[in-house]
Amino acid sequence: MRQNFWTGLAVCAFALLALNWIIPNYAGVNPMAQMPPDLVPRIASWIMLICGAIIVAGAVKDLVKARALPVTADIDWPAAGWMIWPFFYVFFAIYLLTHFKITHIGAPIIAVMLILLGERRWYMILGCSVVPVALLYVLSVYLMRVGVV
Amino acid sequence: MNMDFVAGAIGEALSISSLIGIGGGVLLGYIIGVIPGLNRSVAIAIAIPLTFYMSPFIAISFLIGLSKGTAAGSAVSAILLNAPGEASSAATCLDGYPLARQGRPRTALKVGLFASVLGDILATTILIFVAIPFARVALMFGPYEMAAILAFALVFIAGLSSGSLFKGLAAGGLGIFLGTIGLDAQTGLPRMTFGYTELMDGMPLIAVAIGTLALSEMFVQSERLRYERDSMSVKLDNSDKDKLGWKEFLTTVPSIFRGTAVGTVVGALPGLGPSVGSFMSYGMAKKASKTPERFGKGAPEGIAASESADNAVIPAALIPLFGLGIPGNVSAALLVGAFAIHGITVGPLLLRDEPELLYSIFAGMIVASLIMLVLGWFGLRIFAQITRVPPHIVIPIVIFFCLSGIMLQGYGPFGLIVLVAFALVGFVMKRYDYSFVTFLVAFIITPMLELNLRQSIILSRGDPMVLMNRPIAVFFIVCTIIALVMLAWRTMKKGKPVAGADPAA
Repeated sequence: MRQNFWTGLAVCAFALLALNWIIPNYAGVNPMAQMPPDLVPRIASWIMLICGAIIVAGAVKDLVKARALPVTADIDWPAAGWMIWPFFYVFFAIYLLTHFKITHIGAPIIAVMLILLGERRWYMILGCSVVPVALLYVLSVYLMRVGVV
Repeated sequence: MNMDFVAGAIGEALSISSLIGIGGGVLLGYIIGVIPGLNRSVAIAIAIPLTFYMSPFIAISFLIGLSKGTAAGSAVSAILLNAPGEASSAATCLDGYPLARQGRPRTALKVGLFASVLGDILATTILIFVAIPFARVALMFGPYEMAAILAFALVFIAGLSSGSLFKGLAAGGLGIFLGTIGLDAQTGLPRMTFGYTELMDGMPLIAVAIGTLALSEMFVQSERLRYERDSMSVKLDNSDKDKLGWKEFLTTVPSIFRGTAVGTVVGALPGLGPSVGSFMSYGMAKKASKTPERFGKGAPEGIAASESADNAVIPAALIPLFGLGIPGNVSAALLVGAFAIHGITVGPLLLRDEPELLYSIFAGMIVASLIMLVLGWFGLRIFAQITRVPPHIVIPIVIFFCLSGIMLQGYGPFGLIVLVAFALVGFVMKRYDYSFVTFLVAFIITPMLELNLRQSIILSRGDPMVLMNRPIAVFFIVCTIIALVMLAWRTMKKGKPVAGADPAA
């Protein structure tokens, strides 16, 4: 119920943002075009808005019936932290990839994540981090030779 | 059917380079399918960058081989681990795991393998004989019909692929919205590019697909690691009682034929997926059996029923793709992207413009099925070992390949940011039951939908009465409205329209 309420609200918010700011300013206008360039994005936004509103309305009905509030105090913070950390890790990896070559830092990126996920056997960490990078290296050298990259 | 094309196609499919490409795809698919948590669409999304340097025929055959391999491989983990490699093999667990626990894992695996291969070959044959006449009819369709059919397919997929039609449609709306980013085809105006030249060609499809399917799935898997870590796999040994006899195999044949028929029908309909097919086939086999009480306790017919239907769905899902250009599930949608990378428009035009390629793909699919049989037969013991690879080893490696797949294509930091953004979108959709399948299919078919809509508006000069001369278009518009009303009614009444629908594969 709560999840439907908040996600439905997010869908509505995005649709309203698209209809009131993104499309008028960035979808382009051409009075000569027989089909305006903003027609399809506008239809898509209306679909999102209507569906989001129905989802919110359904969730509100269920919340009222259950006499519950849309917010709750019992959030499992350790679980939320466990859920979020891989995103931050990948962001950090991307930051590193903008400064170093992937074949140079690929192995440490894999190795650290293996350790964070609980792997402690050194031979597994070494093998699992070096072999994929070596495969990528061989593949990229081959692709360079055939002129793809 | 032009016999010159057929002969040429068979020759091409049997060339060394094709056999290596197709065999590589099936082997990779088998390995990925065996690992629980990695599914068909994840495999295809990660593998698309690898097909960049292949010829169009080998690239598509490689991806179809990969898809077939994952379907067969997922049965191995379902039987030995009681953890299906993908959702569509969940029905295989019901009898596969009990049979393996009774000391007959090899028998269970062989029944699964034969059912997979037979279901696959029979459904591929049906595809060949249905898709070509279908495409011939579809070539007569104009933009009105195509726009109506695409709208119908989207509503159908949205209604059947998630718990709620409205969540499915909201996801589809987002997919359409993001699919319009880039230069407008008619006016040349940049749409929603926010001044970024990288967005002029639209959102990079590969980054969107890998992010939504593969990277987000790794985030889901890593979240699950907190609660479930280890699993025990049944070991293969050389017991005398663990042999599949001819007599025992014959008892599974009716289930295989029934499963193939069910899988073909389910696969040809957009929105339904292999999970629906395999469970439906399992239920029908149980109903038809004289000893239904054996089901769920290790009946080989149960394994045969679910595996044949699961594998029959893959070629059958290509009927609307080759016939109409409509992807009925995510795997087919990714194939549209793979075709586009090689500059080919998939659909009925493929039959007119590149018939040699189409026949070669069909021949490659049959070859892939036979390679699957050989690999499955001789690689049983090795694949059984792969089921022991724990998920915490798989996750960092797959994440690395997701990042390197984008880097290999030269997207750079922009592509990586798009990748992570869509991984976040995919993660949220999976977690809160918004259909990522509808999102991705909508994103991929939006250019086609918009083109047909634009042509319809220009040809009709905005007069809807033109549709009166277009009965097929009117039929699909009426079907769309009826489907919308019925699915909305069902969502409001029950909450979940079709239990187990999973067109993700």
